Amino acid sequence: MAEKKASVWTSISFWRRSAAWVTGFATILLIWLTFDTISQIRMGTDEELAKGIKRRIPAPTVINYKIGYKYDEKRGLEVPVIGPEKNPLFGKELSPKEAKNLLHLGKLTEQAKNCMDCHTLLGNGAYYAPDLTKAWLDPMWAKGGPMQAMTGKNSKEEAMVEFLMHPDKYPTHARMMPNLGITEKEAKGLVAFLKHMSSIDTNGFPRGFSKTIKDYETGGTYAK
Amino acid sequence: MLSSIKNSAAVSPSKQLAMMYFRVAIVLFGAQLLMGLIAGLQFLYPSFLYEIFDFSVARMVHINALVVWMLYAMIGSTYLMLPDETGIDKPVAIGLGKLAFWVLTAAVAVVVLVFIFIQVGPGKESSIWFINEGREYLEAPRWADIGIVVVVLIFYANVFFTYMKGKKTGIMTVMVANLMALAGLYLAGMFFTDNISIDQYWWWWVIHLWVEATWEVFVGTLAAYALIKVIDAKREIVEMWLWIEVLMLFGSGILGLGHHYFWIGTPEYWWEIGALFSALEPVPLVAMFVHVLYDWGKEQGHADAHGKGSAIKNGPTMAWITINAFGNFLGAGIWGFFHTLPQVNIYTHGSQFTAAHGHLAFFGAYATILIGMMYLGIQQVYGIERMKTTFKGKMAIFLITFGVLGMTVALTIAGYEQVLVERAELGAGWQAFFTAQNLPWYIQAQTWREIMGVVTFVGFIYLVLDLLTIGKVAQESKE
Amino acid sequence: MLFETCTDVACNNIFAWLNQGPLTLTIVLHTIIILPMFWIYFSEKKKLNGDK
Repeated sequence: MAEKKASVWTSISFWRRSAAWVTGFATILLIWLTFDTISQIRMGTDEELAKGIKRRIPAPTVINYKIGYKYDEKRGLEVPVIGPEKNPLFGKELSPKEAKNLLHLGKLTEQAKNCMDCHTLLGNGAYYAPDLTKAWLDPMWAKGGPMQAMTGKNSKEEAMVEFLMHPDKYPTHARMMPNLGITEKEAKGLVAFLKHMSSIDTNGFPRGFSKTIKDYETGGTYAK
Repeated sequence: MLSSIKNSAAVSPSKQLAMMYFRVAIVLFGAQLLMGLIAGLQFLYPSFLYEIFDFSVARMVHINALVVWMLYAMIGSTYLMLPDETGIDKPVAIGLGKLAFWVLTAAVAVVVLVFIFIQVGPGKESSIWFINEGREYLEAPRWADIGIVVVVLIFYANVFFTYMKGKKTGIMTVMVANLMALAGLYLAGMFFTDNISIDQYWWWWVIHLWVEATWEVFVGTLAAYALIKVIDAKREIVEMWLWIEVLMLFGSGILGLGHHYFWIGTPEYWWEIGALFSALEPVPLVAMFVHVLYDWGKEQGHADAHGKGSAIKNGPTMAWITINAFGNFLGAGIWGFFHTLPQVNIYTHGSQFTAAHGHLAFFGAYATILIGMMYLGIQQVYGIERMKTTFKGKMAIFLITFGVLGMTVALTIAGYEQVLVERAELGAGWQAFFTAQNLPWYIQAQTWREIMGVVTFVGFIYLVLDLLTIGKVAQESKE
Repeated sequence: MLFETCTDVACNNIFAWLNQGPLTLTIVLHTIIILPMFWIYFSEKKKLNGDK
């Protein structure tokens, strides 16, 4: 008590050293986490799909399979259910290479057409148009749904291709999608991209996806 | 602001270059607001400019003008403080720095023209290289990415070698280290992958580690420098605060990145990391807030004790810094915390909630202090001893702040409605989305957002008029 | 239940292993970050006292 000592709390060098330590260590942790995460979110292989081994991001050939989205009791959220039944896109099973090329075209088109500045993908993007994360599973496109009837097509993928090529011809809402000059090939790529995206394990986002669709069909509260 | 270069032979070349950057920044700010008004109107009247200038185009230019005007103002602010902090009037390669300015401005002009007139390309690599990369905020095509990297390297080299040659203050040390991280991070967003999860993983490295880490530290350094200039705050105190802010901002912000990795295909362990680290992100913002008000009070106390009147040498700068302290805490801190926990975020992710947070955070944390730095620049190049806030300046402060707050509240209400109806009640499908968008409460909120957008724009006009005239007026009244 | 085994897609990594219950992973990380600051504190204190 004899002499008043300067406090560490007002010492610049204490804060500088602490800042350097915390910043450095947080950065190292982030890099470590990144290595771990990237190894988990690499696309799986076709063999893994065939054997039913779960990957967060399945191989492009997932577009050959039937995809669902079901509540998982243990995890407390919805997870994608892949196969084992096949449901090839456009009725034709693709080789790993063909599937990869189609997905590549789809992803390129998604970027070149700037989808993300109206829609959200995995919840990121703009909020002017519906989220596309699970668009492949949206009841709007299902058998007996309004989009197949409107486009006069008999399958989800054909209806999607038709809509993507001429969105201005199908007035779905006052807020219509513009015609972006998407070719048939590009549209097929986009459909492959959307189907692949719906198979990604998003930890249950979006939650309760289209759970009330039965209400529309049965004339429930919001039935049109 | 326009004539500031002609009549200022005595002003350091670094500060002249700063003013050049500020001028482009304010033009781009105006472009940002105009695009926002168009996009907002399209929510209410979807047929407005349909297939001529679609929402996606307006929105793309809206957010890119935002990022670019802020980068311009940040580069400008750095050149502004460089001579004062290093004691060197002329950066080592000022000629190259000026060339870089013109190259960057030409590149930005070309990118914007391509965005506006070409808009989208075919699904080929060439579109990514020359038209549009299609990744929110990072839409700039690849050629521009590379150009930006080169220009930023020139800027960084200029700052770095000037720093090495001159005085090494704490403020400048933080600035130089932080700028390196800021510039380097851009590289993480420059490649193409078919894997949307990996795509968004690295995309967030750029976006998050910019706006929630390096940009925030940048704001801390600007506030430190400005407080010394505007109210004569003591350097030791300001620098101590700066290190505390670096500690807390990077400590929470770097791993706070996890809150973007909840739903993009990444493992579940990010829930915890993202939740708790990002929940701490508001803490440094409280600290910055306390620090600004504390120093202001302290210096005013000193001035009063010596009968010196106001301690503030630059009224508008101090006002904008104070709004920054509030706005950063409110917009980035509170509005961010609203939806940062995964338990909430699973419903709010990708809704108007995000838009509400984005508007107040970008304004509160960045726009405010950068406008403050523009006023500081004007004061310095005109050689004004004490600069008072004019009527136009006050109108700008009031209308812009009120307008952005109004937009934020409106978007928050829209987001609340969207989250409960579209997400919780109906489950996020196509029908659910449009059912929520059609509800009267949602449309009312979007209407208010547009009205408040107009208020903000009127405030912006006052701001431009004030920036153009305040220097001259103050100089004339001195003579 | 307070502690539950990992339910994630992949559990064979250190971060998933540490993530075994409410906030376990994040508390561990925070602790590792904070602890060395005590050492920094005391070493600074020693330096300050030594100057006197």
